[in-house]
Amino acid sequence: MNLDDDVKKIFFETFPLLTEYDFDWEKTQNNYEDWDSFAQLNLITLTEAKFEINFSDDEITSINSAKSLLEITKSKL
Amino acid sequence: MNTINKFLINSSKANPEKIALIDENSEFTFSELEEKVMKFSSFLNQFEEKSVISLLFENTSEFVISYLSIINSGCVAHLIPTGISQHNLQNQVSSAKPRLALTSNSYFKRIDDIELENLEKLRFSDVKEISSKDRMPSPTDYAYLIYTSGTTSTPKGVPITHSNCDFSTKNIAKTLHYSKNDIDLLPLQMSHSFGLGCLHTSLYVGSTLVLQKNPKSEDILESIKKYNVTTLAAIPSTLSNITSNNNNDSLNQLSNLRLIITNSTFFPPETIRKLKNILREGIVATYYGLTEASRSTFMIFDGEKKIESVGKPSDGIEIKIKDEDKEGIGEIWIYGPNVIDNYWRNEYSENKSEGWLRTGDLGRFDEDGFLYILGRVDDLINISGEKVYPQEIERIVKVLSGIEEVIAIPMKHRSFGEVVKLFVKKTANSEITSTDILTHCIKNMERFKVPAKIEFVEDFPRTDYGKIKRFMLKE
Repeated sequence: MNLDDDVKKIFFETFPLLTEYDFDWEKTQNNYEDWDSFAQLNLITLTEAKFEINFSDDEITSINSAKSLLEITKSKL
Repeated sequence: MNTINKFLINSSKANPEKIALIDENSEFTFSELEEKVMKFSSFLNQFEEKSVISLLFENTSEFVISYLSIINSGCVAHLIPTGISQHNLQNQVSSAKPRLALTSNSYFKRIDDIELENLEKLRFSDVKEISSKDRMPSPTDYAYLIYTSGTTSTPKGVPITHSNCDFSTKNIAKTLHYSKNDIDLLPLQMSHSFGLGCLHTSLYVGSTLVLQKNPKSEDILESIKKYNVTTLAAIPSTLSNITSNNNNDSLNQLSNLRLIITNSTFFPPETIRKLKNILREGIVATYYGLTEASRSTFMIFDGEKKIESVGKPSDGIEIKIKDEDKEGIGEIWIYGPNVIDNYWRNEYSENKSEGWLRTGDLGRFDEDGFLYILGRVDDLINISGEKVYPQEIERIVKVLSGIEEVIAIPMKHRSFGEVVKLFVKKTANSEITSTDILTHCIKNMERFKVPAKIEFVEDFPRTDYGKIKRFMLKE
């Protein structure tokens, strides 16, 4: 499995109601009904655990789409 | 109202030739045990009444004889777990201020290293019978002193009177139907309230008590077969080990037991189900009670009903939920003849209020009056104003295979105040990852309860009784 697939999988695990049809790398936080601050925390925790990395506070606040999560994760590997 | 020494005297009178006690090396009838105790207590009578005498023994007849002799001589038995660190041993003895410390040959070095003025130190084998007048304790006298395990703070000295103990023992015998026909297997230290309560009950009803030094499941199963055991008292992890690591043929040894009793506020439902399936007619039970208020509830498991409850208050005991929230959750307070009057040397008076014991445990009653324990008041995790009970998180995570123990604690967080941090001890050869655990949590709990950090540990800091020191994990 490549990095894109791994990040996408994290999205599906964090947002159980998300379907393949609805998923879009560019779709931002405002367009997710259930992307609240706790979902953000879950997303970060799961990504950090999966790739054994740590995000800074600034990085965490800048993550607002699957694409931005992928890019920041990529920069740390 | 009985004093504890009367338990033995009455059973000896009723059934002198019946086997009272079996350990690795010896067995005693009630009359033999009584005679040993009388001789030993004649030596102890040289110490003033109410003197504290410390005991450090494994699960052997030497412990039982020493303990009952101390009681019989009107002194107070200070019970020390064998797993105690030298530092804590010194602290306990400095607080208890015993006149004598008694131990077996194998633990004498530990006792000999204690520094305390006017403390005599003896091996069991050093004690010789001497002539001294008989004494009789009164029901309001302290019988024994146990220091709490210190899972939440510094260990506290808990002195138990004969009348506290008499009440609890009768409650145990009545609720769990102990009788002189029982053969009780005890793979538990008697320096702990659970094990000691089992000793008292056996003596009170006149059953036979089989002592086992260690809780290895193969030894337990062998003893059950060898002695035709009818009741088994063990902690949940021992019972889980038995059910998980033995084949059906071995587990059949358990099938004729009439009672399996444990002592936890959380007994894994899977273990309860397995035990219930193995037992032909026997019952599986647990109880809730602190050293300060022994056996305050009993729970006899009946299928899936109330499987996470610790049961209803024992006869004669009142339990209330103080300062309950809208879900009925609050601190558990206990009132009754099993509750201590005071802590040792009247310390920690804030834990008592007009006779009620403030347990520091969080709980709730259901509509049928069954009590559920949710954790400790101090352990609550406050996430943006939402109260999270660590045990709820731990129960959800524990069902994953590959996890031996798990502890949830609060971790400071700049946005939410606190979030959940999880410490996990894996089973041997487990390959479980943080991602596996988090994925499971996201599926099975509300978002705010999902741990924000997971740390794997080799083991946890533990008390001398083997309990996890949760407070030491907090930042």
